[in-house]
This record gives sequence, C-alpha cells and structure tokens, in this order.
Amino acid sequence: MKALFLGALATSQAAPITRFITEDIRTEILDGGDPSRLAAALVDADVVLTGAWRAGYPPAPRLRLLQVPLAGTDGIEVAALPEGVSLCNAYGHEPALGEFAIMMMLAWRHRLFDIATSFRAGSWFWSPTVGGPVRGEVGGQTVGIVGLGHIGREVAWRAAALGCRVLAANRTAREKPPSVERIFPMSELDRMLGECDIVVLSCALTPETTGLFGERRLAAMKPSALLINLARGPIADEDALYRALRDGVIGGAALDAWWRYPSASEPEPRPSRHPFHEFPNVIMTPHCSPRTDGTIERRSRDIALNVDRFVRGEPLENVVALT
Amino acid sequence: MSFIPENAVALHIGLWFSWYDDVVKALFLGGVAADTAEGIKAQLPSSLAVEILNDPIDLALLPTAAAEADILVSNHWRADYPPAPKVRLVQSVATGVDLFDMAALPKGVIVCNAFGHETAIAEYVLMTMLALHHRLFEISGEFRERASWRTSWVEGGEPHGELRGSTLGIVGYGRVGREVARRAAPFGCRILAANRSARETGSGVERVYPLDELDQMLPECDTVALCTALGPETTGLINARRLALMKPTAFLINIARGQVVEEDALYAALRDRALAGAALDVWWDYPNAADPNRRGSRHPFHKLPNVIVTPHNSGWTAGMVGRRWNEIAENLGRFVRGEKLINIVTAG
Repeated sequence: MKALFLGALATSQAAPITRFITEDIRTEILDGGDPSRLAAALVDADVVLTGAWRAGYPPAPRLRLLQVPLAGTDGIEVAALPEGVSLCNAYGHEPALGEFAIMMMLAWRHRLFDIATSFRAGSWFWSPTVGGPVRGEVGGQTVGIVGLGHIGREVAWRAAALGCRVLAANRTAREKPPSVERIFPMSELDRMLGECDIVVLSCALTPETTGLFGERRLAAMKPSALLINLARGPIADEDALYRALRDGVIGGAALDAWWRYPSASEPEPRPSRHPFHEFPNVIMTPHCSPRTDGTIERRSRDIALNVDRFVRGEPLENVVALT
Repeated sequence: MSFIPENAVALHIGLWFSWYDDVVKALFLGGVAADTAEGIKAQLPSSLAVEILNDPIDLALLPTAAAEADILVSNHWRADYPPAPKVRLVQSVATGVDLFDMAALPKGVIVCNAFGHETAIAEYVLMTMLALHHRLFEISGEFRERASWRTSWVEGGEPHGELRGSTLGIVGYGRVGREVARRAAPFGCRILAANRSARETGSGVERVYPLDELDQMLPECDTVALCTALGPETTGLINARRLALMKPTAFLINIARGQVVEEDALYAALRDRALAGAALDVWWDYPNAADPNRRGSRHPFHKLPNVIVTPHNSGWTAGMVGRRWNEIAENLGRFVRGEKLINIVTAG
C-alpha cells in the first residue's frame, strides 16, 4: 500500500506523520508542480494526504482514504473524488487557536502594539509617571463566539477564566458548557452582536457562513468592538469589513484568515485587495494561528493513527464524507 | 465643624482648613496622588483636609504643607524634602514603597500601600507570555510590512510555540503571582512558584519553592515571571549565573522592579540569545525633569527584536485606577475614624 503526501501543506507535515505511523505502508511525497508526476503518483495511491482536491485531477483508482491534514475541508471538491473514498479531517489545533484568540483580545484591550511601539521609539507617553493614559482590561468584557465547535469551546473557557462574560451563536443546538452564559441560534446572531465587546469567528466556511459578516451585521456590532477572525476570510465580506474598519463602524480587527493566499504565480500577495496593512486598528497575521509545535505533534499523531487504522481495516476517525 | 464644607477639598496650594484643630490633614504629593485626590474627593470624610501638590518642587515653596500633614499620600518621599514631623500615616498610591525614604519621615509612622492592579498586571503577564511564545511581534510585523507568509500554516511555515504543556515559574508568589497562576492554569501550563516565605500551593500551582531553592526551579521553566517586591533578598536576584540556569528557549517577564535583574547580564543574555526573549515593563533608569526622554537602561534593549518593552504601565488600566482609588479612600476614612487600617506594610 502507498500513502501520498500531496502539496505544500501535507508535505510540510510528512516527516512527523511518517514518524508516528506504525503499520507497513510506503510513503511518497509530491510537493505540487508537474502534472505528469502527479498522474504517476496518484495511480497507485491508496491514501492521499492533501489539503486540496479539484476536478480534473488524474485518475486515482485505488484511492480509499483522503486525509486532510487540517480541520477545514473546503479545499476538497467532494464531487470530484472517485467513488468509495472516505474523506477525513484532523484536529489538534484547538488549544493553539484558543490561545491565539485570547492573545488578540489581550493585545487589543491592553493596546500592546501602540504602547510597545511608542516606548521602543523612546517615549514614556504611556507611563503613569508622566500622567499617561490608562488602557483597558479583558476581565469584565463580553465575548461573543460565532460557531461553538472545537475551537469556540477552547476560546470560551479561557475567556471565562479571565472574567469575561461569554455568549455564543451556533447553527445547531448545542449543550451549553458552563463557561458560556447563553447560546443563541444563528438566526438571532444580531441580538448577540449588540452585546459583545469582542466577537470571535470560529465557525466553518459553508454556504450559510459565507459573507455572514456583511455591512448590516458589522453595523450591529458596538462601534468599540473587536472582531477576531481565526476561521476563514470569506466569512466576513471583504469590502464591508474594510469600510467598517476605515469608517469606525467597529473598533478594530485581529485577522488571521484572509481572502487571498500565496500561489505559485504570486508567492507573497497582500492578503486582501484592500490595504488592511495600513490600518493601525488591525492586528494581522498570515494564517499562522494553528502552526504551533503542539498542533503539529497532536495532529501528526492523530493522522498517523488514522493511517494505521486504514491499513488494519479498522473504522476511521473524523470521517467528514464517504463518496 | 459646621463651617467645614462637606467633602472638603483644598484645591489651592496653602489652603489648609487649619482653623479647626481636630481636622486631619492629608498631603497628596505628586501627579498620581493629585489624580487620586480628584478621583476620591467625594468619598472622603468631611473632617479630612486635603492639600494637593501636583509637583513635588512646590514643597520647597510650601514647607507648611509638609510641616502640618498628618497623612502623606504619595508614591515617594525624599531626604531633601522639608521636615514632616506630624506624619502618622504614609498611604502609598502604589504597591511598592521603595521610593519612600523612611529615615526622612517620623519614627513609628504607619505605612500602607495600595493594590487593585492584580487583574491588570496578571493580564499583562499572560498577554506577553502568549505574545512571546506565539512570536506575535515578529510574525505580524513581517506580514504587515512585506506580506511575508513565511510562518503561515498554508505554506507549512516555521512553527511557533504555545503555552499548553509549558512550565511557568512565578518568582514572588503574592497577590499578583496568584492572579497570574489562576489565569495561566486554564491554558494547561504547569506552574511552579518561588517565594521568600512559605506559601500554600493552590490556583493550579504544583510546588512553591523557598526563594533559596530558586536555582532548582529555574531550569524547569519555559517562562519565568518576576512578580516579587524589591528588597535586599531580591535585588540582583536574577544575575548572570541564574540567567544561565534558564533554558535557552525560555522567556523572562519582569513586572516587578528593574533592580531584581542584573542589567548587564540580562542584556548580554538576550543579545546573545542565551535567553530566547523577554517582556520588560520595569527599568533601571526613569525619566526626570532634566531628561524626560531618558531610556530605561544604559543598554539598547529597545533595539533587540526578541524583547517587548513597555514603560512601567503593566498595572495602568482604568479598572485598576478605580479599584485602587476605592482602597485608598477606604483607608483614609478608616484612619480619620480611628478604625483598623487595610494594606499595612509597616505597622509603625
């Protein structure tokens, strides 16, 4: 049997995953590029580890397990997969994202970038010894979590431990964890937003969530509020969010998910057609929130276990679809 | 009593309510104390007369302010100030009382400090821990400046750290230390502490080392947070030898006092990456009238990319100011009424 690591995302994790695989399976690595090599690599692959699958890929007649090395399967065109394939995703990034969201809340309320940048340049402006202005705290703030899944829960209990009031909105009814005061159905999202000082997007990208934060919904937020997007760029409408930040409709944003990503032809694109990087009220990172040592370790173990189960013919974990 | 207005506050220099002998006189000295007086005047007893000197230089022009004060509310007192023979209570507007020259104040004076900053500082420690381990400044800086996706998940970029599973060592397990522990525990940190006097564990702390066993704790830690008071035992506590005991991948956070750390040794360790990074809120040098833009150190810490620098404002939040004002107003009221004081540092 053969497992093929395909594309940059999967091949970057090939070493740790391979190290944790215990069953007898051959591995091959193909980091994008050359279509003729792709056809040869796919023809005898039983398992493909990849973040992307598109219509027009060469035939993969032996493929039975398509293991995505991340939680989001929005890069996979399920209809383009051969029949009889189990599509599985992977987790292990939840603690990293929980930490990342809290870091952004703290950095925003404590004005970390403003203060550190000013002091680095030599000014004591923010010091109480010269009568500098006070800043905020996270304790006591109302945090609204949109999508109370694996990640939302990690954000919720950390925020609660900091003394935040935590609300959530979710598409399906969920059992309420003790850290969350109230769960709104997604149809009542607007009611929740008006109460929140900080809104965290931690939902999957689906047809229902695409453009979920458009002009009207951003206007339903407090003018002082912070929007944190750790999920997917298109959950927020690109033009509307740009205008909202420019015009002070909301207070600021911490963005780790974007509308544009690197490609072979453009390896270092700006992440949006708008100059978010010119806004002082935006904290921006290149979709790095999951990329911790801890995530790689946890996720590689989980993926290796799934490959082992597949080789042994056991039921798989984290099955998203079966074609 | 009847001609003393309720909530009496003398806002003008020299305006004591000195015609009434039973009036207790409080001198609020310095900018922070002046703001405090403005913030709490509505809460003070009417029998308390208040003198506010925003700038300590005014003391030279107004030695009576020092001569008649029963209570000194400030963050400092210097030997060259005019005599203050009647002072019975020093109410610090800060937690640290190391800037009061006690030899220049009457013997037996009661010294009280003020808190309310624990939430702000504990959040600051957690924030800088996160920012250092997740390499926030480096990653966001290069992404903003030149659209570098080097550290991106989608590019399979260079990973950064996280708090989960890391070991936090808290040096000085007092009010702030406890609040740091309480907030770090839900992140899945292993938490150790070191303290001069014995302390109970709790708030997720696995073990409290006596301070003289600090050397055993340091090599275990991925983050060391200095939350101790400045005293003879803690001055120069983190020296070259102790810095070398820390992991080269570890981060140091100092919200205590600059002098807890040896300046030269820390600079060398950070410059040479014998230590991965630091967040420094407290300094060895401070601005003064002659040099308002004085750097916090003789070394250029501000040029090191692995150091987060802030101007001694980790506790300086709106929430802290409100909580601290309440404590100070409460204590002044207790003193005037002859009740038991809170936050006593030196019982007199």
